[in-house]
Amino acid sequence: MFKALKEKLFSVRQRLETTISEQPAEEPVAAPAVQELPDSPAVEQAPQPAAQADEGAKEKKAPGFAQKVVSLVRDREFIISDKDIEDSLSDLEIGLLESDVAFSATDAILSKVREDLTGSKRKIGTSVDSVITNALSEALLSVLGEGVNILDFIASHEKPVKILFTGVNGTGKTTSVAKVANYLTKNGLTVAIGAGDTFRAGAIEQIDVHGERLGIKVIQHQEGSDPSAVLFDTVQYAKAHNVDVVLGDTAGRFHNRVNLMNQLSKIRRVIQPDMIVYVDEAVAGNDAVIRAEEFSKSVGMDAVMLTKVDMDPKGGAAISIVQAVGKPLIFIGVGQGYDDIMPFEPKAIVADLLAGEA
Amino acid sequence: MLGNLGTNLKDALKKLAGKTVIDRVAVEELVKDLQRALLQADVNVKQVMQLSQTIKKRSLEEEPPKGVTAREHVLKIVYEELVHLVGGKVDVQLGRQTILMAGLQGSGKTTTTAKIARYFKKKGLRVGVICADTFRPGAYTQIKTLCDRVQVNCFGNPKETDARKIVAEGLQHLKDEVIIVDTQGRHALEDELIQEIIDLNEMTHATHRWLVLDAALGQQAREQARRFHEAVQIDGVIITKMDGTAKGGGALSAVSETGAGIVFIGAGETVEDLEWFDPDSFISRLLGMGDLKALAEKVQESIKEEDIDVNAMLSGKFTLRDMYKQLEAVNKMGPLKQVLSMLPLGGMEVPEGAIDVTSTKMERYRIIMDSMTSKELDDPTVLNGSRVQRIAMGAGATLEEVRELIKYYKMMKRTFKNLKGGEKGMQRLMKKFGRFS
Repeated sequence: MFKALKEKLFSVRQRLETTISEQPAEEPVAAPAVQELPDSPAVEQAPQPAAQADEGAKEKKAPGFAQKVVSLVRDREFIISDKDIEDSLSDLEIGLLESDVAFSATDAILSKVREDLTGSKRKIGTSVDSVITNALSEALLSVLGEGVNILDFIASHEKPVKILFTGVNGTGKTTSVAKVANYLTKNGLTVAIGAGDTFRAGAIEQIDVHGERLGIKVIQHQEGSDPSAVLFDTVQYAKAHNVDVVLGDTAGRFHNRVNLMNQLSKIRRVIQPDMIVYVDEAVAGNDAVIRAEEFSKSVGMDAVMLTKVDMDPKGGAAISIVQAVGKPLIFIGVGQGYDDIMPFEPKAIVADLLAGEA
Repeated sequence: MLGNLGTNLKDALKKLAGKTVIDRVAVEELVKDLQRALLQADVNVKQVMQLSQTIKKRSLEEEPPKGVTAREHVLKIVYEELVHLVGGKVDVQLGRQTILMAGLQGSGKTTTTAKIARYFKKKGLRVGVICADTFRPGAYTQIKTLCDRVQVNCFGNPKETDARKIVAEGLQHLKDEVIIVDTQGRHALEDELIQEIIDLNEMTHATHRWLVLDAALGQQAREQARRFHEAVQIDGVIITKMDGTAKGGGALSAVSETGAGIVFIGAGETVEDLEWFDPDSFISRLLGMGDLKALAEKVQESIKEEDIDVNAMLSGKFTLRDMYKQLEAVNKMGPLKQVLSMLPLGGMEVPEGAIDVTSTKMERYRIIMDSMTSKELDDPTVLNGSRVQRIAMGAGATLEEVRELIKYYKMMKRTFKNLKGGEKGMQRLMKKFGRFS
């Protein structure tokens, strides 16, 4: 996952390093207004390009001429400005967009990096690398959040723990339910599945076969029946049989179908899930953000599961969705098999993204 | 957010209004907004960059013809370049043929297969479907249920795990004119499955190989389409789930990778929800603004007072006749949602249901209204049970459909009445209605 992004981050980092490190060595006249003190080893520049015009404008520039002198002479620091990193940032922007990080998320990351880097003073001689790595890592972590451990979550809630799966059509909800069921069983929990997709032809058969293969009880009604009733029965079954976790499948639906979203709200009222997992696919583009926001608004969500990551290892959708709804990513689906599921740990992922060469 | 996008683009276009000389700054601004719009719509990043370069170059270099304003000139260029990107319509031949469906997991192949089967069936051809998805549990039940619903033959065997074997048997078994082979979802990185579809393509001597793509597909679309094309030479693209909010920009990469046009658009969950691809409305959706072609061709002039009597509408005297005209106008201008989005409603809430109408349904409404008398059109209150029955019979529609139309009419009427309440909005609305810019 994130391979392309990793490469991009690496090249952007290198570029940032070069631009920032080169700064002190720059020739006095090479870039007007970029350069202030010919004799000093370090140089800083004003954020407003307008100041470029005349030499006399020096004193008016934002950080102030005097302050710069103080910075340079007394503290031996230089200040990183907007212009130093603009090119690298627009590189990063393209990289993020190409990795399917949605427009809004890309904006958020860029402005965080910009905010962290510009104006930050760097002692001459300290590693540029650490300044940049920190800024990028913080920007990514601020977007990806803390993450959540599903096993801890289940342990800390009253049984049966009810987990509801929602999402638009064709993102892989039913397969994900089967995978999560398998994952939980392997971790010593008992699971019951509610076949809540009563709309799509063949959906009940699909989850039923999964249940049979995995040896997990699937509660089902007929096609076209009320999904709330199916899931209610599943919860009743779990209570009666002392089952640890109930996984509720639902029919895929678009966020702009009011009546279908209302149906989901009804399910929510009836079974009162402990966790609503929103399922979306890694290959989705900008729409991922819009629909995640809508789902979050109308029925709520507590966590996100990203499927089909094997299809698109860039995984930008993960960043977009999590950024948009501010909920943690708990699992990623990476293939067609029951074991093709991985818990998602933001810290490890970000560390990996920024680790050395791609 | 998306609303803003359309507005930005419109603002940029507005800056060009009335200018006779193309202003570099304005063009650059326009191109930047265009880029944003297209990137938001998931069009491939490289394609966007290329397109904006071309538009910029052409806008600045080409001399606008006499009598054409700078704005119209640039609009025309934008439109032409977008049409170039989107590709033209693809004609579907009616006759003996075999169609192989290909696509990623969860893109909607099976549902689309049923929709296409229904399409050919309605055209009077005998259709048979082979279920070659041996992987996903319930796949056969799904396609069988859908095929039964549209009454076409379906061949499959949920116990068999070899797709090649099923297809071989199916080809022997089915004697229909149109054979559609529904395959298992697969993606570019699954070599074994790619090999499988290559084999299936050879076995079936497929006349067409259609790639089914989810409208929400992002930058990955290009790579996936490339791989599918390499494997089986895709000659048609179907975009599904256009009833959501996704713009379908990813599918454009597929078009440019395969050189194949877009055949159908899937816009709903039932088997009827299949539409022809219309480049104009597709582009307008991509940009989140009204029909660019309509703008480019100065259609605004054709939407005159007699077309839509805004005053009557707002005074609450909105009759079925007005709605008929409105639907006709909508045909020219693109979906109602976008028409409404172009109006300065000042954030007024328009009921979901009022704009939640597909173009197919619009067409049905028009047909039903064609079966009404003048009296009914002018004064819908006269509609009673026996009139509804007569209309339904005349239009070949069900009673429910006619009632639904009346319900829709009432909702529209209420909407316009509320619009009037939105005081200031009305003045501006009337002004704007004349010239959509």
